[in-house]
Amino acid sequence: MSLSREAIVEGLRRIVGPDAVVTDEKILVESSVDNFRKLQNIFDVHTAPVPAAVVLPADTAQVAAILTWANENGVNVIPRTGATATEGGLESVVPDSVIVDGSMMNQIVSIDPYNMQATCQCGVPLQALEDRVREHGLTTGHSPQSKPVAHMGGLVATRSIGQFSTLYGGIEDMVVGLEAVFPGGEVARIKNVPRRAAGPDIRHVVIGNEGALCFISEVTVKLFPYFPENNTFLGWTLKDMATGFAVLRDVMVNGYKPSVARVYDPGDAGLHFSHFAAADDCVLLFMAEGAAGIAKATADGIQAIVDKHPECTQVPSEYIETWFNDLCWDASKITAEDERIRQTHNVNRTTEISADWSSINDIYQAAKARIIDEIPDITMMGGHSSHSYINGTNMYFNYFFNVVGVGPEEETDKYYLPIIGIICEETLKRGGSIVHHHGMGKARAPWVKDEYGSSYYILETLKRSFDPNGIMNKGTIIPL
Amino acid sequence: MDHLRIVVGFKVTPDYEALRAPDWARAAGGAAESGGGPGAPETRYVRRVLGVFDEAALELALRLRDARAEAGLETSLAAFSVAAREADPFLQTLQALGFERAARVDPRAALDFAPRVTAAVIATYLRRIGSPDVLLLGSRCGPGESGAVPFLVADELGLPCVTEVTDVQIASRGRLRVTFAAGGGWIRATIAPPCVLAVGNAVVSMLRVPTLKDRLAVRERSLDVLSSGELGVDAAAALAGEPTVLASLETIDRERAGTIVAGRTPEEKARALYETQLRARLERL
Amino acid sequence: MSARETLRVAAVLDGTAATAERQARALGAFLREGLRLGADVKLVAATHLFHADQSGRESLLELAPTTDVRLIRTPALRADLMTAALTAFEAGGGAELFVFPGGPLGTELAARLAARTGGSVMTDILDAELSGEGLACRRRVYSNHLVGLFELRSLPWCITLDAGWSDARPSAPNEHVVQTVAELHEDDSSASGPLKSVEVLDQPTTGDLEAAKLLVVAGRGAGSRDGVERVAAAAARLGAAFGATRPVVMNAWAPPDRQIGVSGARSAPAVCLTVGVSGAPAFLWGVERAGFIAAVDTDERAAITGEADAVVIDDGVAVIEALADIVASERP
Repeated sequence: MSLSREAIVEGLRRIVGPDAVVTDEKILVESSVDNFRKLQNIFDVHTAPVPAAVVLPADTAQVAAILTWANENGVNVIPRTGATATEGGLESVVPDSVIVDGSMMNQIVSIDPYNMQATCQCGVPLQALEDRVREHGLTTGHSPQSKPVAHMGGLVATRSIGQFSTLYGGIEDMVVGLEAVFPGGEVARIKNVPRRAAGPDIRHVVIGNEGALCFISEVTVKLFPYFPENNTFLGWTLKDMATGFAVLRDVMVNGYKPSVARVYDPGDAGLHFSHFAAADDCVLLFMAEGAAGIAKATADGIQAIVDKHPECTQVPSEYIETWFNDLCWDASKITAEDERIRQTHNVNRTTEISADWSSINDIYQAAKARIIDEIPDITMMGGHSSHSYINGTNMYFNYFFNVVGVGPEEETDKYYLPIIGIICEETLKRGGSIVHHHGMGKARAPWVKDEYGSSYYILETLKRSFDPNGIMNKGTIIPL
Repeated sequence: MDHLRIVVGFKVTPDYEALRAPDWARAAGGAAESGGGPGAPETRYVRRVLGVFDEAALELALRLRDARAEAGLETSLAAFSVAAREADPFLQTLQALGFERAARVDPRAALDFAPRVTAAVIATYLRRIGSPDVLLLGSRCGPGESGAVPFLVADELGLPCVTEVTDVQIASRGRLRVTFAAGGGWIRATIAPPCVLAVGNAVVSMLRVPTLKDRLAVRERSLDVLSSGELGVDAAAALAGEPTVLASLETIDRERAGTIVAGRTPEEKARALYETQLRARLERL
Repeated sequence: MSARETLRVAAVLDGTAATAERQARALGAFLREGLRLGADVKLVAATHLFHADQSGRESLLELAPTTDVRLIRTPALRADLMTAALTAFEAGGGAELFVFPGGPLGTELAARLAARTGGSVMTDILDAELSGEGLACRRRVYSNHLVGLFELRSLPWCITLDAGWSDARPSAPNEHVVQTVAELHEDDSSASGPLKSVEVLDQPTTGDLEAAKLLVVAGRGAGSRDGVERVAAAAARLGAAFGATRPVVMNAWAPPDRQIGVSGARSAPAVCLTVGVSGAPAFLWGVERAGFIAAVDTDERAAITGEADAVVIDDGVAVIEALADIVASERP
């Protein structure tokens, strides 16, 4: 028998005290969605079930007590920290969910410049950690666009990636150890070591679990020396994406590790580079960083590779550097973006996938053509590749549409989900992955079995074993 | 008025918000070093944006057209910019949004701090195409933001001008109901065309976006491009007679001191904060 | 170089607007402190006071920042008539420098007067100085990132004042020598004014956070709902508006209408006191226009300490309560 909302609030208050249980209606309503249905918050039209409470644990012990209680009482729990999710992972899809918000657990536990690692609680903003390690001349190497607003717990939970991933890797390459709390209240700590071969790497059960298996309470990440003075920027214009992908492949296959390696299609380039790129130009860009010799060798090597492609026209590096310095979201940009949507009903959405070098251009071309053809009111359809690997790369589809003839709450059904559907279909058809770095959330959960294929057995078993009562973030990764 | 001719003038500027403190410091220092010219920030490498008030003026024009269409009234829309080629992508967007005429007057001279010459070029262009019923402009635009251009144009054309316009609605007999900021408050009044409306902090400030299909439909359409010389205005020569001249640039010191207030207890620190920093400031409130 | 002995200045005051007092303050302060003439140049200034009717004339006269006052009666909102009157004055000998308060009407009069007389127009100036044959003026340019120094060449120089001047202290009262110059009526002009059916709309109800002169903001460092409530109580005793950061609002320690920063209010108080605010960029956006920021926080490395004018490292709630006690005891 499920608990009433009042009983849920009462139960939580007994665990964490009355101050740490939020039941303010407006906050609960806003917390019923994340950026996947951001129009609901922008226009204040809400359709999702309203959570029963937001609870703010002060420490791991309180998290364990909350999860134990929720597990015993069958209460759905949605873990969150910075609340910047984009794929519906924080959306409440069943009535009377409880949002366990780790943002009060915001202490940097230690910075260890000798062993080059830092430990922090889940609610530490990445920007705060980065600022602190910079005092030691170090960097986390992690720089997603959400750096000013996202917190460490959420970044690990969603397998996030940053702008410098080609050099430093994704968050999964940075986390050396962590602490997580499971539904029965078990607290599991994975120790911080350089590597081990003592069985499977269990970090990866936790990293990317999106709150569907456990609550991440603490993480330890690697640190790197910071040499901003050696940053070198390179940029070219070119006429087709196939060449862009080919150059990216050459750079990766030849062993270079630029921190940034990107190719933008003409639509997406138009948003960023119209002051130097023609309307039908693609833009290829790189940043080399690290110790002076490494940065120079990297930049020289890339220059030599691109020089072999006469169809690429080099542009002054200042264009790339100036653009790069203004790339992260800041507060005023987020406000302006919301206001633009409110006034123009023109909405920007993104979907990121990955595939091997043989398939990526086909996926890009096929998805783009279908979306323009099948979806109404598209104002821009484009994208870029921004994270490359030895065997392939990602494609970050970036698209805008006008919301016409439906209310803001129907935007996802009329436009966003059908577009996601096309991108997932075209990707799966060619053997790619439907999610590169935003997480599955609830938005892409419907495709989970196609994404996993026969390996779905492992995922399903993990879910059943760690969350037998199904209380952890229902509908995320695995659909209802 | 059964038919209303609306013309909107707009400006495209570098995105100054993309520049950083060292860029501004270099702009101010550069002039002193070189000993000549007032200096200017390096803006070649940042993207171009519509002036914020110009963007509002463009959207207000579209809304006016839509409201008139609903009332069964015809409207023709034209847009122009006194600019080099950087305005072209914006003009193409306006064509896709239904501006029947999209023109660029290339002054072949830098008019950034020359409101008189700018106004002369605009007025000459408007006389050439036929003075509009309603001229919508942004009330001011970077980098000079003088706010004088709409009035200077209005004076040349012999038109009334309302500035700081926040909203425009259609009224009876072809007139417009205009809301504007004045004297520390807001006023709403009716005005009969022809007139100049300079748009300020409008309720609607962001331009709608054309669909890919809208863009495709006007792909073959060309822009009207003419030089100020073709209008009979030698902008470069006129600049020499501009009565106001930018001589130099200075940076603005925004650094906050971050002075640490000393004391042993919260009470001592509150007292020290009050005595050293707050007393005089609170008295002035 | 001709040695200038005097500078003839016309200060233009629109007495038909509700802002007459602020205009007068700006004009007076600018003539006192903002205009540098050099030792040998004598200022000969007169106020051109536009007024709507006879009844309020005396109290308007009190505001005039100069001894000499020229009274011009005009219907309200008639920039066309005012421009014509000033142009006629200029044609009859006039002034070398016309000073208008900031705002739309000043901009219109300055621009149109300059256009009709072949003079120079410069708006929103910070200060001005005689320089050779010209007038050197400073004003903000490049979206307030830089200040530009401009030379105004052709006479008359028509300038309007930066908004900051209207916050100046009032001038000492003058004895006034009054001259009634003109009565402008609708029928003085061939056409009536362009604006019909004029309605003055209600003043906007700006939120208390946007309008605050003194602002106290509680951050998560206040520690608990009780801590935030104590900060709010101290703010009330200080006569300050009370705001909160997003984390405080999201914890329901303060109501959502108190939020400062992105998706909340943007404030520009003269003095801002932050209590336990770490200084996330989203918050700083909301107070970056404050005249003075004092931050109280236990963490000396919090981002706010680099963004404040004064920093107290201590428990914020205790410090703000002590401060409220001090201010209360100092009040008469």
